[in-house]
Amino acid sequence: STLTPFAEVEDTLKRIQGINGVIGTIVVNAEGIPIKTTLDNSTTVQYAGLLHQLTMKARSTVRDIDPQNDLTFLRIRSKKHEIMVSTDKEYLLIVIQNPAE
Amino acid sequence: MCIEAFLLVSNCSEGLYHCVLTTSLSCCISLCVCVCVCVCVTLSRGCDTNRTLHWDCDPSTLLLHSEPGRGPLKLAMAKVTHVDFPPKEVVSYTKETQTPTMTEQKEEEDEEEETAPLQPEVEAEKEKPAEKQDEEAPPHELTEEEKLQILHSEEFMEFFDHSTRFMERALSEHVDVFFDYSGRDMEEKEGEMQAGTKLSLNRKFVDDHWSKQRVVTCLDWSPQYPELLVASYNNNEEAPHEPDGVALVWNMKYKKTTPEYVFHCQSAVMSAVFAKFHPNLVVGGTYSGQIVLWDNRSNRRTPVQRTPLSAAAHTHPVYCVNVVGTQNAHNLISISTDGKMCSWSLDMLSQPQDSMELVFKQSKSVAVTSMSFPLGDVNNFVVGSEDGSVYTACRHGSRAGISEMFEGHHGPITGIHCHTAAGPVDFSHLFLTASFDWTVKLWSTKNNKPLYSFEDNSDYVYDVMWSPVHPALFACVDGLGRVDLWNLNNDTEYPWRTADISRGGFSDLGAPGKIQEWGPNFWIQLINFFIFLDDYIKF
Repeated sequence: STLTPFAEVEDTLKRIQGINGVIGTIVVNAEGIPIKTTLDNSTTVQYAGLLHQLTMKARSTVRDIDPQNDLTFLRIRSKKHEIMVSTDKEYLLIVIQNPAE
Repeated sequence: MCIEAFLLVSNCSEGLYHCVLTTSLSCCISLCVCVCVCVCVTLSRGCDTNRTLHWDCDPSTLLLHSEPGRGPLKLAMAKVTHVDFPPKEVVSYTKETQTPTMTEQKEEEDEEEETAPLQPEVEAEKEKPAEKQDEEAPPHELTEEEKLQILHSEEFMEFFDHSTRFMERALSEHVDVFFDYSGRDMEEKEGEMQAGTKLSLNRKFVDDHWSKQRVVTCLDWSPQYPELLVASYNNNEEAPHEPDGVALVWNMKYKKTTPEYVFHCQSAVMSAVFAKFHPNLVVGGTYSGQIVLWDNRSNRRTPVQRTPLSAAAHTHPVYCVNVVGTQNAHNLISISTDGKMCSWSLDMLSQPQDSMELVFKQSKSVAVTSMSFPLGDVNNFVVGSEDGSVYTACRHGSRAGISEMFEGHHGPITGIHCHTAAGPVDFSHLFLTASFDWTVKLWSTKNNKPLYSFEDNSDYVYDVMWSPVHPALFACVDGLGRVDLWNLNNDTEYPWRTADISRGGFSDLGAPGKIQEWGPNFWIQLINFFIFLDDYIKF
């Protein structure tokens, strides 16, 4: 099967977290509730809430332009960090990276 | 502020008129405006005495005095000062308790009601915070079990599988499309700091088995594949059963931490190069004087060819090897520390094609530690020696051998490099030398004294190299682990950029010293292409 077995979820998250410059990784469900995180609770809740809203808005933008289209990846580049959000209908995978490193 | 002036006129038996002007202020304010009203009124009463009424100018009490013995009162025009005071702000406090969400919403709604002409959008925004607050309540409801349940679900697995794929690729890419070449965005961050901030350590290449406890003796880049780098190492004293000489080919393009190829031989390798017109061959000069050839097409880690250990070849350590010439006419040149220079054909290493003793003035053998050919020249070259002198030489012709001696350094020369950047102006007569005397010197083959001496280092300078593309840029490394980038267009007193790579704490065997070379694609976004090898150099 091409699906990731559960044990590898942990390993993959650790691997992602170990990539150079990665500050944090959060998995969020459809309601914006964090399921898995490598950051502390308050930061996680903040990122999850804000990015969930932004993703919803981005998704509705994409779908308003073309109803057959859907949002897959969102990348926010700021002066200090890069926030990458990979999404489908149900979940969000959020990774915050410092690209300078 | 209102000024209420009370005029009290009191009659008293002596005929004195007292006028009291009082000002009342409704409250105190920090700004005080002194009001001085001077009115001189001269009143005369029809009586035998002349009385003059005048204001007492003391602002606290303004009294109208009347002096007896004055004639009839005369009224005269007086100057009145008119002052305006702005109404004072009333600061009031409302004692309300801060209550959470519900009350706040109510207040918001109250505000909405008060400011009636609100657009529906604004109202919608105010409703959203309420929604958001509702949404935040559930996080406390998801238990660990529920989370695990989600994590085990099939849809999650599918999502995770796709997403992590993209994410890992995106994270590993370091394409910075936002880079500002003018350096403006960096200037904000740096402020005053100039040196050291744009030079950063890129990668470290270490192999636990093959490169630990060994000293890096030489580096070279593949002319055909710019990402391939060969590093030669000497012996590992703590592993006598391992081969003494090792050469590793590292790949800079990929993040893998193991070498592409591992080569070894019996004697410590003191120098190594990629054979210029044979991309599969790596040439090494060893401590024993033997020159070895490795081929990455063969499956062997040992050399496919070796030169003989005879008096015809070298019997002293070979610190300099290089392939010089053109595609059709090239030779492998090697020089050992006894001054013997041999030229070889790569097809046949069993005997040298040509050999020469490098002696100065027919008597003094030159102990060559480093050599360099100017750009485009296959005949003339420069060598640096252990006694601190630089010699120019040529391979062929009537005056083959050492031509001139340049003195200047006070210690053995560790590195020599001729100017490499090709362009309309010919700089090929310039070369740099690095030495144990803590200096780097710039020379011209036309002068026997250095043109300039760079003296910013505080330890043995182990190597120096010109940039392959920028005519004014060169770099040097010293025993303290410091790498300096000098820009001759900027400043000759101090390095343009500097980086300290010893702080990684890699070598606890002493001060780290490295040899570094420029790769063909060095000039990337002001961040240096930098190789740091985890070992120290011994001489």
